[in-house]
Amino acid sequence: MYGYSGKILHIDLSKRRTRTESKPEEWYKIYIGGCSMAARLCWESIEVGCDPLSPGNPICVANGLFAGTPVPVGGKYGLASKSPLTDFLGDSLSGSWFSIALKRAGWDGIVIHGASEDWVHVFVDDDRVEFRDASHLLGLGTYQTEEAIREELGDDQVRSATIGPAGENLVRMANVTNDGRQAGRTGHGAVWGSKKLKALSVRGTNGVSVADPETLLKLSYDIVDAAQGPHTQKYRILGTVSNVLNMNRIGLLPTRNYQQGVFEHAELISGEYMHEHHRVKTIACAQCPIACEQMSRVIEGPYAGSMTGIEYESLYAVSSNCGIGDMNAAIKMIDICDRGGQDTMSTGVTISWAMETFEKGVFTKEDFKCAKYPEGFEPYFGDGEAGVTLAEMIRDREGIGNLLAQGTKRASAQVDAERGTETWKWAMNIKGLETPGYDARALKTFALGLAAGTRGGCHNRSAAYDPDIKGEVDRFSVDETRGELAKSTEEYAAVYDTLPLCKFIRRCFTGKADRAGAWPVIAQLINATTGWDFDYDAVDLIGERAHTIKKALNIREGWTRADDHLPYRWQHEPLKEGASAGHVVTEEELEYLKNIYYKAKGWTDEGLIPREKLIALGMDDVAEEIGV
Amino acid sequence: MRVHVEFLGLSRLVTEKKEIALDVEKGTTFRGIVRMLGTTYPELIGNVIQPDGETLQAPNVFNLGARRMIQAGQMDNGLSDGDRIILMSMSAGG
Repeated sequence: MYGYSGKILHIDLSKRRTRTESKPEEWYKIYIGGCSMAARLCWESIEVGCDPLSPGNPICVANGLFAGTPVPVGGKYGLASKSPLTDFLGDSLSGSWFSIALKRAGWDGIVIHGASEDWVHVFVDDDRVEFRDASHLLGLGTYQTEEAIREELGDDQVRSATIGPAGENLVRMANVTNDGRQAGRTGHGAVWGSKKLKALSVRGTNGVSVADPETLLKLSYDIVDAAQGPHTQKYRILGTVSNVLNMNRIGLLPTRNYQQGVFEHAELISGEYMHEHHRVKTIACAQCPIACEQMSRVIEGPYAGSMTGIEYESLYAVSSNCGIGDMNAAIKMIDICDRGGQDTMSTGVTISWAMETFEKGVFTKEDFKCAKYPEGFEPYFGDGEAGVTLAEMIRDREGIGNLLAQGTKRASAQVDAERGTETWKWAMNIKGLETPGYDARALKTFALGLAAGTRGGCHNRSAAYDPDIKGEVDRFSVDETRGELAKSTEEYAAVYDTLPLCKFIRRCFTGKADRAGAWPVIAQLINATTGWDFDYDAVDLIGERAHTIKKALNIREGWTRADDHLPYRWQHEPLKEGASAGHVVTEEELEYLKNIYYKAKGWTDEGLIPREKLIALGMDDVAEEIGV
Repeated sequence: MRVHVEFLGLSRLVTEKKEIALDVEKGTTFRGIVRMLGTTYPELIGNVIQPDGETLQAPNVFNLGARRMIQAGQMDNGLSDGDRIILMSMSAGG
């Protein structure tokens, strides 16, 4: 088999044993890699119905098909476990050197079972696995841990995925970090922490075999050439943060916990402002010719020296959504999250929930006592120091940080149960995952994509904002086309997340980002790597299969139609100002959208998957368990 | 008649302007605005405007009044006095 080793490494932390599993080529043709393969490994390995923070929840790593090859932006891997935020599948992607090392070590995937009694660092050295004591690494941040491991092993080619203090403290929004990149969102870091797994390191020294190196090189060079041109210019020069002013202008920039869609200080937290005042340099993941990450630094003031890569989704969450118009505080908050190993989006949205809960009088100053402020503090919207302090308190589970570390769904439920309040009405999450930087009240196709998404409130798995924002449909209204659109856009995204390829390359195949522009070239890349005979239809099927295995796992974990919901605020509180004022997604609209979406997917009215559908996708064993 | 053009993102970096007002003839189209911008700010060509000087380079788009994105097939539609056009580059991520 070309492109794959055909081997999955299973590591049992409880027994400190390993075994190798061989997978047939047909299995790879269905699940390919990345999020899809990781989800499938989770399907095969999870203890059904387990607590996400229990030994029965596996850590499933699935490498990318193109990792370690010349294919640009193909150095990525998928990570899946049951999410401690959503109690459904949590699937994430991360990029860069770790995936290349894993490919060179000869593993298509790693499944980590059980839980260790003591803190452990697992070192995969080609085909040898070592369980190393990690007690001396405890408390170190993510970047520090990577450096400490390289120093300890005396080899700067060792690549590590690590957790920081947030993961150690079982913060439910904790990330896994490698090479400065995060497998973020769904709380993988807490799963790793529950197993006392501080780091997974890999050294790979083998070559990577592909079926047709000459064709693969030619195709790859053409894409690299295109990636230096106008199709990626936005990412290279300003990065994703340029969306701050775009979203603000069309009235959809989440502001003060989504109470508003226009932020009066948007210019001060814009990509344009960051470019002029804070940008240090632009960096790239391994195997990437685009280089989108805008490394930005605080130059002066109490947070001087803080520096990290800034993306739009991180930035909106910790700035406008907390009412904070101070880029210094925003960079500091993101830096705390990145070093501590916690998700910036969930952190920011949870802090904004706490700020609103304080401003509405449910929380008082007393609730915010901590070592730094023994008398407590008053976290009004706009207070950058309060935001910084709360990010640290979440990381350390200090004081009210212990509550907030659970995310908005659990934190609001606990407060409401204890105090008889209704703070859940402004807890901005879907299935427990905090919502992204696009207010979906006036993006109605996207609202459906988010509600139905297997991951929860995620902009990466549903690309349904595209037809709304680009004006291909009327974003303010609902019609019969939206079910098919939500299906089409999520499966489009799933192709990229499965190979995986960074979506920023999507215009660089032929100049057009749609299926017709990309799929034929992607088929050629797959074929030159593996020797298979994929065509347009086979590439398209990758997305449907990927989405289906994730949905199937959720169904087996207890998903029902009621879980496809939106935050109360988006359904009952229209925005009051700006270009998107006056809109909500009504209960009737959402139920209608779900109906036409399930129909487009070929599912039942209750959103379950017919047996014949699963069998047609090659998932006979899945059909046996959850098919109807 | 007078129309306003706001620059966001790359177009703002290139022009070093947040907004300009253009006095144009009645019947001027979106494509006509692209031509005028290319003439006034030649550095936009190749960065935001395609080399033909008539078409915006994806993902740069015009938005009319913050409510409606202008599609390729609408570039020859006429503008009205007081229209506010936003030149932006949309794409998600991060």
